[in-house]
Amino acid sequence: MNRIALLLAAVPAFAQIKDADWLTYGGNLASWRYSDLNQVTAANVKQLNLEWVFQTGIGGKNETTPLIHGAMMYVTGPDNNAWALDLHTGRQVWRYVKPVPPSLPICCGQVNRGFALSGNTLFKMNLDSTLVALDANTGAVLWETTLADYKKGYTGTVAPLVVKDKVITGIAGAEFGTRGFIDAYDIKTGKRAWRFYTVPAPGEFGGDTWPKDSKAYERGGGSTWVTGTYDPETNLTFWGTGNPGPDMNGDVRPGDNLFTCSIVALDAATGKLKWHYQFTPHDVHDWDATEDPVLLDINHEGRNVKAVVMANRNGFYYVFERATGKLLHTKAYTKVSWAKGIGKDGRPILIPGQDPTPTGNMACPGGGGGHNWQASAFSPLTGLYYFPTTDGCHTYFVTNHEFVEGAWYQGSTFTGEGHFPAGSILAVDPATGATKWRWPMVSTPTAGTLATAGGLLFSGDREGYLFALDASTGKPLWRRQLGGTVIAPPVTWARNGRQYLTIAAGPSIFTFAIPK
Amino acid sequence: MSRTRWILFLCPLLLAAQNPFAGNATEADAGRGLFRILCRPCHGIAAQGGRGPDLTLGVYNNGNSDSDLFRVIFHGVPGTEMPSYGARIGDDNVWRMVTYIRSLTTRKETPPPGDPAAGEAFFWTKGGCGACHIVGRRGGAMGPDLTRIGRKRSLQHLRQSLTDPNADLTPGYYRITVTPRSGPKIAGTQRNLDNFTAELMTPDGKVHFFDREAVASIERDYVSMMPAYRNLNPQDANNLLLYLLSLRGENQ
Repeated sequence: MNRIALLLAAVPAFAQIKDADWLTYGGNLASWRYSDLNQVTAANVKQLNLEWVFQTGIGGKNETTPLIHGAMMYVTGPDNNAWALDLHTGRQVWRYVKPVPPSLPICCGQVNRGFALSGNTLFKMNLDSTLVALDANTGAVLWETTLADYKKGYTGTVAPLVVKDKVITGIAGAEFGTRGFIDAYDIKTGKRAWRFYTVPAPGEFGGDTWPKDSKAYERGGGSTWVTGTYDPETNLTFWGTGNPGPDMNGDVRPGDNLFTCSIVALDAATGKLKWHYQFTPHDVHDWDATEDPVLLDINHEGRNVKAVVMANRNGFYYVFERATGKLLHTKAYTKVSWAKGIGKDGRPILIPGQDPTPTGNMACPGGGGGHNWQASAFSPLTGLYYFPTTDGCHTYFVTNHEFVEGAWYQGSTFTGEGHFPAGSILAVDPATGATKWRWPMVSTPTAGTLATAGGLLFSGDREGYLFALDASTGKPLWRRQLGGTVIAPPVTWARNGRQYLTIAAGPSIFTFAIPK
Repeated sequence: MSRTRWILFLCPLLLAAQNPFAGNATEADAGRGLFRILCRPCHGIAAQGGRGPDLTLGVYNNGNSDSDLFRVIFHGVPGTEMPSYGARIGDDNVWRMVTYIRSLTTRKETPPPGDPAAGEAFFWTKGGCGACHIVGRRGGAMGPDLTRIGRKRSLQHLRQSLTDPNADLTPGYYRITVTPRSGPKIAGTQRNLDNFTAELMTPDGKVHFFDREAVASIERDYVSMMPAYRNLNPQDANNLLLYLLSLRGENQ
């Protein structure tokens, strides 16, 4: 074979590709976590090999979605750390760190889920409830603003969302009797443009779903710790909200407790509520609705619908009309013991006897829910929507829990004693929620997902594997053991004709590519 | 190091010795809430022990002062199943848990009548326990190492484990059954199980590795490979339990 024939033979196996960035938490503003890079395919994925590792040296859970732009990769880590890495070597270019205050009240690890980027400015939430803007070239602080008092339990872990001239962000802390909100700040100055409280005050719309003459709403929870999405056509931003406070003791907060465990559609310019839907009215099982609200065009009863979908923690999959919030379809995707289904009026048809009790009461899904925050993915190539799920139950307890500012305010807990939940990655038809394939996992999922035009679905697991499944069938095609739990979602990008795959595992950042 | 820096260095230690919430019932109640979330799985909802030690006896493995309890909860006990909580919940919440533990009524656990030396003999001979459990430098590795078990488990929990090993199985000691493409099934105790591979130990002490792609199936059952010793005569059982309670990692 002559040289030209060799080159020609090589072309189909190694597609020529353009440079590609990864610029937002969800891959695009609709949160598809899909890349049209197709160099790595089912046929050659087994050749993926390690390009570089960056050891952050910071322990704890790394939940970052790396951003790739210009010559750099931007990653955040636990304990208010962040780094800019050289794309080709993984070597540190700069590091940002802000000391974490002692005695920080936080529920679930001193984590961070990533940066947002606008032009040459990075935005990051810090654990002390601040939002910081950094110069992407140097890591220098451009401005910093305080959202709330961290001593009261407000913490920043979410990756912000840039919409035009604003950076939209949320807050964590619903286990500490806080009052959730979604904020927008001017990207140039850090001045707050608007705030939407996810728990309305008395007299405000939805305020009548909380007890009268009570401070319950001030401790009402509704945190917003997973990044929302944005639809340019309607100028709406969609966010999921967390559990009410206290989590398991509903007696101190009779009513539906809007807008906890809900999806809210806000005007991105003003923060005004356009529509809302509450998945779990008066939740007592810690079923935050902080799953990614993904924007998809789906075929609903023969017509194309601009939809927003969510595989909710309460075990049901939901499809809404994006502009109006009209509920189009629901379907249980895992074992559900608390509701028979969702009624025509949009309210769950409750099964009695599912609430937590002082001596413990079983309900399914368990405390972490079915699908939790682990990032989902949509592939226009297969038409399938992918998300990791936990399949199982928990025993839920309730106690009286006096409110103490800055102290845990959960009203008891749930335990897994006698329960052994397993996990799976599900591929569903996004229009109906019907399962197309299910890849079972030995333990509950930790990592997010990534779909590519190479026909692959990448994810990771608790036991430290990064792996690729066939996006059409769920068949495992490739794996690497990374030596640390994979809690973050993978991202993919391209430079100089090569496709790369990057993921955080344990305390390190790993980048893979097919060797030259 | 200058004198001033020494003093600054010592300050947090001095502060840590004082429980700011000592005797405060409201803070103890907040501590109880935390305890139910974080400690219950091992120490039980009434703190009377389980997989973790009984905390109602007024005597603790790592010191009996408030600051000892603070240290153990804050930093954990390296090399044991006790994790650290300080970084997760902060000083004040650790003190709230200390205050709750202090508020518990002290109970007294009366050991059963019997002879630990006879229990030791039973362990290594008639009981056959040493075939699967290590004590010091002797024994097999199928089941958990018992060298320090007397520090970790309450009498009640040990008795339960003896007669019903599945009641509160030590995590990780599950039964793995591999069905090869041909030939008989192989069952053993889990050494590793992930989405792609399994390693298990069979009763002969050998470790076997399997790749999912190479076998028909790999199943995990949340049961112990240990037989339930329900029909021991009461004296043998008491002797054995006294021997197990005496195992504190010393002189072995």
